[in-house]
Amino acid sequence: MTGRRVEADALLSADAVAAGHGDVQVCAPVTLRVPPGHAVALVGPNGAGKSTVLQTLVGLLPPLAGAVRFGADPVDERQASFRRAVAQVLDDEAFFPSLTAREHLLLTARGHGTTDPDATVAAELDLFGLTERADALPTALSSGQRRRLALAAAFVRPARLLVLDEPERRLDTDMRRALAARLARDRDGGLALLLASHDAELVAAVADDVLLIAEDECRWVDPAAAADAVTGHPPP
Amino acid sequence: MTAVAAARERELDGAQVRRLTSRSAAARATTTLWTRLLDAWSAAATTAIGLAMLGGWLASVRDTIGSRPPMPGSALPTGPTAAVVTVVAVAGLVGVLDRLGPVSASPAAAAWWLPLPASRRGLLRAELARVAGACAGITALLSLPLFLAWTARPSAGGILLDVAGAGVTAAGLVGAVALLETRGATSRVAPVAGAVAVTVSAAAMVAAVVAPLARAAADIPRRHLVPDGAPWAPGVAVAGAALAGVVLLGLADRGLGRLPARTLRLSGSTAQFAAASVLSLDTRDLGRALAARRQRPVRRRWLFRPVTRAWQAVAAADLLLLVRSPWQLGQLVVAAAVPVLAARTDGLDRLPPAVWGGLLLGWALAAVSVGHPARHASAAPGIDRLLPLSPAQAVAAHCAVPALALCVVAATSGVLIGAGSGSALAWAGLGLAAVPAWTAAAVRGGYRPELDWTGPVMSTPMGTLPAGIGATLVQGLDVGILGSVPAIVAVHLGGAPSAGMIAAQLLWALAVGAGGLALTVRRLTSAPD
Repeated sequence: MTGRRVEADALLSADAVAAGHGDVQVCAPVTLRVPPGHAVALVGPNGAGKSTVLQTLVGLLPPLAGAVRFGADPVDERQASFRRAVAQVLDDEAFFPSLTAREHLLLTARGHGTTDPDATVAAELDLFGLTERADALPTALSSGQRRRLALAAAFVRPARLLVLDEPERRLDTDMRRALAARLARDRDGGLALLLASHDAELVAAVADDVLLIAEDECRWVDPAAAADAVTGHPPP
Repeated sequence: MTAVAAARERELDGAQVRRLTSRSAAARATTTLWTRLLDAWSAAATTAIGLAMLGGWLASVRDTIGSRPPMPGSALPTGPTAAVVTVVAVAGLVGVLDRLGPVSASPAAAAWWLPLPASRRGLLRAELARVAGACAGITALLSLPLFLAWTARPSAGGILLDVAGAGVTAAGLVGAVALLETRGATSRVAPVAGAVAVTVSAAAMVAAVVAPLARAAADIPRRHLVPDGAPWAPGVAVAGAALAGVVLLGLADRGLGRLPARTLRLSGSTAQFAAASVLSLDTRDLGRALAARRQRPVRRRWLFRPVTRAWQAVAAADLLLLVRSPWQLGQLVVAAAVPVLAARTDGLDRLPPAVWGGLLLGWALAAVSVGHPARHASAAPGIDRLLPLSPAQAVAAHCAVPALALCVVAATSGVLIGAGSGSALAWAGLGLAAVPAWTAAAVRGGYRPELDWTGPVMSTPMGTLPAGIGATLVQGLDVGILGSVPAIVAVHLGGAPSAGMIAAQLLWALAVGAGGLALTVRRLTSAPD
């Protein structure tokens, strides 16, 4: 165990969770705790199973073994209380073809009962550099803009835990740095963070703990020296 | 009130989320109400004309059958045959419903609706109602001409009651499958429905040729639960079906909140793929969407053990694809049953077009089924290119498994059609002689080119369609039907097929099949990568 990881009051906890599709386990069992105000990064090479682990931890895939808990209860994404508390941006970008970028965000904000949804959405559009494209349909957005729209949706709503799968994907360097700063700020404000990433700079700026996902053994690595693990070349 | 409680007060419920989404989308819709009304009127008029024509044709067929004397060799009365057709149709509907959900969330809805705290029941109940309504409406429409033709002296009230019964039964089926979906018990629905369809089809084939079974089947329609002619019976039956449908849909609605996002997302992706295939008139993609397996495929490495040459590898892979697809195997059994039922059902056997139509329908069903590997090869041509085979050799290799499977289907149908009349071998021979044409049909259909939506278009009652769409969509079936002309003539003339007729059929099928495959190979070799 390294970094700022603490054992008590975990918001999300996984005990020897085996993740996989069907009956095929994709990586070694995962054990972790994510308390409020704490960030855990999953790293490892492509195909190591990071996305599958994330989907299992948020209840989108059933664990093959082990248990995942949110607070004291087993994770169940069918519970409104879970969806209310957990924001996620996974590898499932899809958009309503007839809704603009702003309308997508307003749908999320109003659906979650955000205070002053119009102002909140306008602020996030600005932060993610989408103000000028706010009234464009998804088909008129670039790949990077659609990615920013998906990420912005996680911030227009209240959440206690934010789960992100490779948030750096298709973002330019400035936006990556801005996102890292934002995530670190929200973490310090009490948000629990769980992310999978290949971006060493993002992981170094945000993560308190880094878990290297591998087929034979998942192990904690020093966040300060996680660059090799992040790029897919784990330290010996 | 705390901030958390206040936020919950402000949250949108499922219906509000749906309304917000549809209002936003409608705000920038380019179609006017007048355009939509005109479209609806055009669709309704086209459907009504089509149904009236179909009903009139079926009624004339019924009158033709009634005016001809009974055939001595016929075995099955129309009641059991109609029951078999109904069971197969219901099993097919259940299988499709199971594959598509029936309740699902499109990828966009899965990404933007399902993570909201709104109750999943509120989000999805409109989807359940939409699917139930669509199934009820389509079933009622399709059953209308059948009831018009089936009833000797149709009355408006009676037909309306029959059509309503079909519609509410379909809605009830949606409710039943949705209820199983909410209980997480859908993994066995499609296999069970398919097994029922296959068993009933096989049993009907056997009953058609075994005299005591045929007599027993003939008695089935007389064993009604209510007295014959009771005026209240149809109304009570429809009311019962409606009540059952309402109860099932209500129970399914109550369980919508139990549906996991993973299931909704999977079904939604399939439904979107299938809908896109229908809209783009790509029946091959529709088949891929409906036949794709969710379970991990079973390994059958032994199939590749005897492989020593490239063409054998292609054939072994085709066989593997076919045996891994229960839908295709079930379709083969139904395909074998269709000609037998057409030829041995009282009434239809008096109508040569019904018999040769049954033969063509059965062979076509079988060809579509065994064309499954060729459709895969067409979608992923890179696999064939890895092997040291020219396009012509690869296409020829893809003929091996379809030819083998079609021989089994055609021979089985032929033997059962001729059983008891001393002409079993002749009918089997006729079926086998048509196999080269239908083998080419299966492979040519699998390699059919995509519809060209970038070329000239034409305006039709169904909307704007690419010119030459018919010529593209019938590729495959064209070779099968053209290659079966001698068989059609033989059946139309009546009596058992002669040796000369079988020889003529074989030579003609070989020639047409070779020509069809040559055209396919020429297109493949001339098409740019």
